[in-house]
Amino acid sequence: MIKTKVITLIAFMLFAAGSAFAAKPAPAIDGFAALDMPYDVGNAAVLRWPANPADTDDTSYVVYVSTHETGGWLEADRFAAAAKTGKDIELPFWAWNGSAAEHAVKIELNNLFGESLPSSVFQFRVTAEKNKKVIAESAVVSVMPVGNWFRLDRLNNLILLIVLIIIFFWAVSHAKRKGLFIRRIAGLDAIDEAIGRATEMGKPIFYVPGIGSMGSISTIASAFILGEVSKKVAQYDSQIKVPHYDPIVMTVCKEIVKQSYMEAGRPDSYREDINQFVSADQFSYAASVDGMISREKPAACFYMGYFMAESLLLAEVGATSGAIQIAGTDVEHQLPFFFTACDYTLIGEELYAAGAYLSKEPMLLSALKVQDFGKLIVMVSVFFGMILVVLGAKLGWTDFVQGLLHLFKGY
Amino acid sequence: MSETWLIIGGWVSAGLTIFLFSFLYKDNPFFKIAEHLYLGAGMGWLFQVSVTNVWLPKIWEPVMNGELLVIIPSILGISLLTQFIPRISWISRYGFTFMMGYGSGLAIPAGLSTDFLSQIGGTIKPFSMLASMTPFNIFGSLLVAGGTICVLFYFFFSVEHKGHLQKISNVGIYFLMIYFGAAFGNTVMARFSLLYGRFDDLYTYSAVKYFYATQVILVAMVVYFILHSFFTKNKKDVSEEAA
Repeated sequence: MIKTKVITLIAFMLFAAGSAFAAKPAPAIDGFAALDMPYDVGNAAVLRWPANPADTDDTSYVVYVSTHETGGWLEADRFAAAAKTGKDIELPFWAWNGSAAEHAVKIELNNLFGESLPSSVFQFRVTAEKNKKVIAESAVVSVMPVGNWFRLDRLNNLILLIVLIIIFFWAVSHAKRKGLFIRRIAGLDAIDEAIGRATEMGKPIFYVPGIGSMGSISTIASAFILGEVSKKVAQYDSQIKVPHYDPIVMTVCKEIVKQSYMEAGRPDSYREDINQFVSADQFSYAASVDGMISREKPAACFYMGYFMAESLLLAEVGATSGAIQIAGTDVEHQLPFFFTACDYTLIGEELYAAGAYLSKEPMLLSALKVQDFGKLIVMVSVFFGMILVVLGAKLGWTDFVQGLLHLFKGY
Repeated sequence: MSETWLIIGGWVSAGLTIFLFSFLYKDNPFFKIAEHLYLGAGMGWLFQVSVTNVWLPKIWEPVMNGELLVIIPSILGISLLTQFIPRISWISRYGFTFMMGYGSGLAIPAGLSTDFLSQIGGTIKPFSMLASMTPFNIFGSLLVAGGTICVLFYFFFSVEHKGHLQKISNVGIYFLMIYFGAAFGNTVMARFSLLYGRFDDLYTYSAVKYFYATQVILVAMVVYFILHSFFTKNKKDVSEEAA
């Protein structure tokens, strides 16, 4: 009897001790907070908690997320204890105050749940693990991500934009009062020569605006140049043909050419078929324009705008037909082909400058001045930024160097 | 696909390729056939792409599902077509205005971010790791920074490029030319691969399986050019004699 009681007592004690041992909770991770990721569209959360100085190299943190009050946990991130501190969040110093003594993790919820988030509130918890065993665990916290209307992280963009706008208005006022200087651009001076040659030979001029849409800056620049070229063509009573790839560009160019003929006092010479739609397929367009050039043997060909692989196809045929050729594009990998086949080539910015250079319009000249000012900002910033970063790196001013790099980050 | 259709396809492919290549000799009716066929096929293909990839999924299906908001951009798009009717062409200005405003709003912030800030940041960032940089890395980073300044100066239109400024501008041109040379070589290599593709097809269609399509078309065209040249010359001689 006594033996049975003793065995029962021992068994009960062992069970009680085992239960007590098994129920011992992991230590808590204190200060764990889930916050809405600032300055985003509302699809991310940021988790912050103090770094534990006792963490070793083999300690790792695992972040879990769920859309339910309880359960349904999904592993959102896993990283070593030494990684992902407050300094690693990709926000500039004026929009984020993070320290190396805390962990900060950005969780992109759309990467886990898809573009359409399944819930407005998300639960988070984090565990610290060592050798695949949980050694600490946080409480469950929730957050409701929201979109932000103002991107404080892009404040540097806004300030730069405001500065450029102020300079633009100053330049407009200056251009109207005193005019603005632009240096000579050889390729543009040749336009008169090309039109004069076409007039003397009695042959047409081909103006090819490329395959860009009206949203392309080079196409807009090309439309300005077309205006000036067609004005001169109208004055000299020469002929111009403008084959188009994009119907919207054609519509805009029609208006521009018509206006130019009117400004030149030759509305009677304007014909609707000066601008003609060819094809919206790149190589069909190239083949057709090539055919036109080889049959009509123009005296001058202008290739101004956005070009891709058709650049050499067009310019080579123009060169073979004996036309004087002037090209201009901002597509840098097509420029070499124009160099080889054309007499004059406008490189990138020169194309943008062409409209202002030819027309001397105060608004266009001012825009050109603002571009120049932008280039000056880049040149000065690169020069002094380089010196300051080298000094900072040499003297160990890490925060200063990081701050400087934040100033010149696109975000 | 039946064997007959494969053979017909081979003849069409070889024929059109040779017709287009014939432009290297001179403009001729075969090239014109291929050119106009290409033009028509290209437009037809684009039309069906517009219908199946834009009209159906972006307008028709949403409207059928009750998403009536898509009607607003559709009307703006249709307004552009009024350009073809002079009496109401003013309506198209709404569409154009929206496009210009939308385009500017999209392009200006992106341009500022990439062309200005990222350009500056990207150029000076390597110097922040000065302690871990080898002399060659330092030289490379200086070269990039110097090249950026000189190239930008070439495109600076507000001052006359004379004296020392001319030298900075010339250095910029050298940088540009090195880049253009590399880009030229790179693109030419890519174009050669396209040429090999066409030659490979012509070789394939020269087999007995395709009844020597490449050879037959090539020989027929050569015969045509010889005869054409012969008769044109005769005509010229007659007209010269008459004159």
